[in-house]
Amino acid sequence: MIPVSSNNFFQIRVLIPLSLSLLIFLIAPMFLSTYHIRVLQFFFFSVGIAISWNILSGFSGYWSFGHTLYIGVGAFVAGKFAPIIGLQYGKIFVLVASMLSAGLFCAFLAFILAYPILRLRGIFFAIAMLGIAELTSELSSNFDWIGGAMGLIIPEASPANIDPAVFYYYIFLLMAVIILMVAAYIKKSRFGYGLVSIREDEDTSKMLGVPTEKYKITASVISGALVGILGAVYGFNLGYFTAPSVFRVDFSLNMILYNLIGGIGTIFGPVIGAAILVFLTKVVLSKLLNIHILITGLLVIIIVLSAPGGIIGTVNSLIEKRQASKSTNAPKN
Amino acid sequence: MRIIIQTFLDGIMLGGVLSLAAAGFSLIFGVMNVVSLAHGAMVVIGAYLAYVCWSLLGVDPLLMIPLIMGILFILGFYIQKTIISWAVERSTLEASLLVTFGLALVLRNSLDIVFSPDVRSVSPGYSFMNIGIGFLSVDVVRLIGLIASLCMLFFLSILLKKTSFGRKIRATAQQSFAAELCGINVQRVYALTFGVGCAFAGAAGVIIGIIMPFSPNSEGHWTINAFVVVVLGGIGSPAGALIGGLLLGLIETFTALIIGPSFTNAMMFLILVIMLLFRPQGLLGHAFGESR
Repeated sequence: MIPVSSNNFFQIRVLIPLSLSLLIFLIAPMFLSTYHIRVLQFFFFSVGIAISWNILSGFSGYWSFGHTLYIGVGAFVAGKFAPIIGLQYGKIFVLVASMLSAGLFCAFLAFILAYPILRLRGIFFAIAMLGIAELTSELSSNFDWIGGAMGLIIPEASPANIDPAVFYYYIFLLMAVIILMVAAYIKKSRFGYGLVSIREDEDTSKMLGVPTEKYKITASVISGALVGILGAVYGFNLGYFTAPSVFRVDFSLNMILYNLIGGIGTIFGPVIGAAILVFLTKVVLSKLLNIHILITGLLVIIIVLSAPGGIIGTVNSLIEKRQASKSTNAPKN
Repeated sequence: MRIIIQTFLDGIMLGGVLSLAAAGFSLIFGVMNVVSLAHGAMVVIGAYLAYVCWSLLGVDPLLMIPLIMGILFILGFYIQKTIISWAVERSTLEASLLVTFGLALVLRNSLDIVFSPDVRSVSPGYSFMNIGIGFLSVDVVRLIGLIASLCMLFFLSILLKKTSFGRKIRATAQQSFAAELCGINVQRVYALTFGVGCAFAGAAGVIIGIIMPFSPNSEGHWTINAFVVVVLGGIGSPAGALIGGLLLGLIETFTALIIGPSFTNAMMFLILVIMLLFRPQGLLGHAFGESR
């Protein structure tokens, strides 16, 4: 199993590199080409969805294979809601209100789904989520008033004097940082430890008095709401989307992949995983589009076989081994 | 009235093939608890092998079923021996979902490279023939597909019930630990089971290749289809796969008739979710579940 490593988010040795990289990301758009800004945008988006997935699935062990449900629903709620508000309060207000409404709607959806779906365990839960995501996608393209088949045009929400790419870059960065902090807070809290105990042994933790039902539902709602908000921003960033461009199975799987590569159930695992995979797929492999999927597939297999705990898990176990050998070699007096 | 009977007939014909496409998946799931997301890729590989035999050698694809099953058996055997058993050993059972998904990506992309992403179909001489029975019309290809599927399912069922290999599979599925105590090499049985599952996927692929067009991208559709059939019918047994497949075939054709052709996928997923909520082990239940 993945070791429950102590969370040292608020320690100096973590905070300094974190704030330094944040500073670099804040000034980066001045020096980068639009293409690289877009790659970084996608990186922040990926970090956000991966950490949100981790809050439910990584902490509590309920692997969702259909989290793109919330990206799609979030985008469609925003797309339907934004034209209703209108522009009389300014563009930023439209964006923020749509993001909030998408978040609220996805939280509500996650709450409704939680009771029936979270009774299923393991593979059945994974596939049920996949089924619900596909069902929602199919329905959104089959009912004309949702407009998944024709596509929705969402009003432009970036202020006139800023390049839209840069504007959404900062929005995605902000969201990624907020979500990272939420995850770090949850992991340290009583709630977070409860979720981890559900992952390790749900029946035992229930017997020991952990309110497993309540914790699972709460985690699901938080995770769904965060992904929904990101989905809304993603929709605004696209400007025009159809059901297949937001309900994407590869989003669901990428969320799992980023966590898997970095380390499931850790705070920085998804960040590392997303950094590696986004860099690999968008920068290194952008010239080799025809074998891009093949390499991703091979990478999944290799990672699962060679480092089941992800990069952070492997590094942690190496450190533990070294410390163990040190303590046995140390002279006893 | 005529249209309802015709739709019913079409549903049954479609369902026969759907059952065969899911039978191997069902066996693997029932015996090892592994959900093989590469199953659809195996089906598509079977279809492409049939395409190669038909277009290059000019052989009737149905005659090639034993050979294609053999090839996929060997492929499946070694996949389980290496990738999947390693993943389950080192990580959790859920990791098998990920490795098989990775495998599906690799296989799909390889097919894309070798055969190009174009949609293909295999059309032997009897492809476009029709038989009229009274006021009903029957596609000859689909009828052949249904009969071949039923034969294969019967064969699988005999294999599981009557042979000593089948007894070993059932024993391992019921309690792998007890089976190991009785001297069964469980890892070997797992590998053989996965091989058999893939072989039946290949056989289904050949029949699917004849009756409908396919491309490397249809792989995902066949995986989901297999899962829905299993969740509808029951895990592990050919009978469960048959019932699930026939029901799904009927559901698809009647949805297309009553609600509209664009709703068949939505209906399929709706039924998947409802079944998972109320009876995740399927209508017939888990074939090997008695002692669990």
